[in-house]
Amino acid sequence: MNKAKFQRFWEKFGTLCILLLMFVAFAIATPIVKDGKQYFLTQNNMIQVLLQSIVYMLLAFGEFFAILLAGIDLSVGSVACFTGVVIAKMALAGVPAFFCVIVGLLGAILMGTINGLLINALDLHPFVVTLGTNTIYRGVSLVITGGNPVYNLPQWVKKMASYIGPIPIPVILAAILAVILVFFTTRTVAGRNLYALGGNKMSAWYSGIDTKKYTLLAHVLASLLAGVGGIVMLARVGAAEPTAGDGYETYAIASCIIGGTSFFGGKGRTVGVVLGGITIGTIFNGLNILGVSSFWQKIVMGALIIGSVALEKAVSNTAARS
Amino acid sequence: MEYLVDMKNITVKFPGVLALDDVSFQLKPGEVHVLLGENGAGKSTLVKVLSGINKPASGSVTVGDKHFERLTPEDSVNCRISIIYQELSVVNELSIAENMFLGKLPTKKIGFMPVVDYGYMREVASKYMGEIGLQKDPDTLVQNISISEKQQVEIAKALSTEARIIIMDEPTSSLSIQETENLFNIIRGLKKKGIGIIYISHKLKEIKEIGDRVTVLKDGKYVATKEVADLEVDDLIPLMVGRKVKNMFLNTEEDVSKNEVLFSVRNLTRKDGTCENISFDLHRGEILGFAGLIGAGRSECMEGIFGAKQISSGEITLKGQKLDIKNPYQALKKGIAMVTENRRETGFFANFPIWKEVAVSTSLKRSGLGGFSGIVHVDEERSAAETATKQLNTKCSSIDQMTVNLSGGNQQKVIISKWLAVDSDIFIFDEPTKGIDVGAKSEIYQIMRNMANAGKGVIMVSSEMPELLSTCDRVIVFREGRMSGEFENKNLTEEQIMYAAIHEN
Repeated sequence: MNKAKFQRFWEKFGTLCILLLMFVAFAIATPIVKDGKQYFLTQNNMIQVLLQSIVYMLLAFGEFFAILLAGIDLSVGSVACFTGVVIAKMALAGVPAFFCVIVGLLGAILMGTINGLLINALDLHPFVVTLGTNTIYRGVSLVITGGNPVYNLPQWVKKMASYIGPIPIPVILAAILAVILVFFTTRTVAGRNLYALGGNKMSAWYSGIDTKKYTLLAHVLASLLAGVGGIVMLARVGAAEPTAGDGYETYAIASCIIGGTSFFGGKGRTVGVVLGGITIGTIFNGLNILGVSSFWQKIVMGALIIGSVALEKAVSNTAARS
Repeated sequence: MEYLVDMKNITVKFPGVLALDDVSFQLKPGEVHVLLGENGAGKSTLVKVLSGINKPASGSVTVGDKHFERLTPEDSVNCRISIIYQELSVVNELSIAENMFLGKLPTKKIGFMPVVDYGYMREVASKYMGEIGLQKDPDTLVQNISISEKQQVEIAKALSTEARIIIMDEPTSSLSIQETENLFNIIRGLKKKGIGIIYISHKLKEIKEIGDRVTVLKDGKYVATKEVADLEVDDLIPLMVGRKVKNMFLNTEEDVSKNEVLFSVRNLTRKDGTCENISFDLHRGEILGFAGLIGAGRSECMEGIFGAKQISSGEITLKGQKLDIKNPYQALKKGIAMVTENRRETGFFANFPIWKEVAVSTSLKRSGLGGFSGIVHVDEERSAAETATKQLNTKCSSIDQMTVNLSGGNQQKVIISKWLAVDSDIFIFDEPTKGIDVGAKSEIYQIMRNMANAGKGVIMVSSEMPELLSTCDRVIVFREGRMSGEFENKNLTEEQIMYAAIHEN
């Protein structure tokens, strides 16, 4: 395979290679560390890996649009939590499931709108705005709940995370969303324009793209998708914790970056984000099976995030040089 | 006669360009020597040889009794040459005194520890500020003083280094009449001290007022040096312009001014005041040129028409229909296209291959909901891009090549393709041949003429008079944000344009 071909191959399949490498590593390590039997590479565990990945993936779907514009959204974890809290509170009050979900997602959209409007109106970097709103949104959840978890929810809440056949509903949901997003990013005018805006804001403006409205759109999408992630979080736990999703922006950002989304804007693919999310889920799952303590998991997690992005970059750099 | 600076036969080459060709220049003590020429004539290049930034390929520089093949920035400082750039290089966050001692803060010792000697600094700063009449506390932060005072800080700084040669690059470009007069008084004071001043300016009126001698450069070549006393400023205009133009006149035989008025602008004023009260008509099939010096407000006017920047008043009519354009999206929808001056900043997308680049505005124009709805038709877009690259003879490996990796001329063709694909009525080209090789230039002129022949209206903003004369049917001249002349391109000369572009009425 020549240089140019390999570069193209790596650009497309680099993230997948890293993920497979991780699978192999865990598949070999678990029997050695445990009693000789395979715990990682089983059908059951693979579904667990997916299920664990879904929340990170959904938050990362949202994060993707913020990063695509060379920005960032630090509030995705708090928005996810808020959505869960709103739905839980309404469910507890006996509101029908459908309305709970709609109102919860409208709440997420509202938060994204606030992010977008603040970024546009104050002309501040999204980092600054979402750093602030992240705390504000978290505070709103704490105020609504009085700091206590919302539990004793009706049956339908947990049912949202149940299985259809062998496949969990959240996995199906994420798959459908992924397909929609692939279509949106590659086949719609709005999706294309977001890439254009991320690539060069001034050129986008002079090409006729309404840069402010598109910035708003990106942040609404970011929060809406984070809200969907919040629903999955709520359904899996069966209760809404006002501290849920705290720090998840890290995993959302990591999923995007591992998936090849460029921090400089204008570059990245939905499929990459899917794989990035699964990579994060795989690391957590593998470390759990290996019996690594949750404290150490944090340390290893951070190192693996840096390591996997560095490896991906190193391979493509080497390919470019050779 | 002893010269302060004696530059002999200086030649400076940049990749692909001969920026200075065998230019000689002398500066006497106590004189103001004006460097005059169009944009790109080589004035800044010459000055940068003295500051050690540009390394001449041949020639020599003698400063006082020191002889150099090429100066380094250090030599320049040692020869006590100071430059005051148009973009002042003061640090806003520091005080006047700190700015004057930037990089060489005086220290004193407290015990073992060296600390900045603020007392000494203030004292010295006050002394030099006093010499040029700058009445400020040396501790004032520079951000709190006016532009002309900042300039005076730079002059005081030059004096504090005992400069013998001070170079001023368009020093009056952002000064009021009062401030300019004040600057001239300071310059007269400097002359008395025997300091030689190289003064770069476009403003002919100033030359008479402050200059002793004037040297004219054109296209990197030396034209003439004159004593200001025995000359009328208007005599200088023919020296600055009037190069031989190859006959490649593209203006049509037919009289397009008799065609219907396609597009008209009335009393357009931009909110930031960069252009005021602009009115013109554009006829079907016409190429209308906009001439003027850089910063005269031509691009600013076009950005206002295109909706990229806000206007405070003005009426725009296309095909008899009044338009209210608030942003480029509306301009696009109404049929106005604009190819901007800075390709890299406002032209293309570094993350897009050619075919997506070409498709951006087309898909936007077709889309509804203010540019948010609709799907992209990849096959159609790719074949449109194929056709456009062939039609404009764009050199690329394929339409999948990234635009950023093309040469300047081909990037420009991709951007033109983008707007051609939209099918607009009015095409605005802002410096369309900037940084483009000669071959691609003439192709672009031809593209513009083809558009006009197809019944479009074409506007061409250019700082290169030969291309305006060879391409346009009519030329409007801007000076300092206003229209200062309008000419049919029949026997029109560069002198006439230049006169309107720089002459105070």
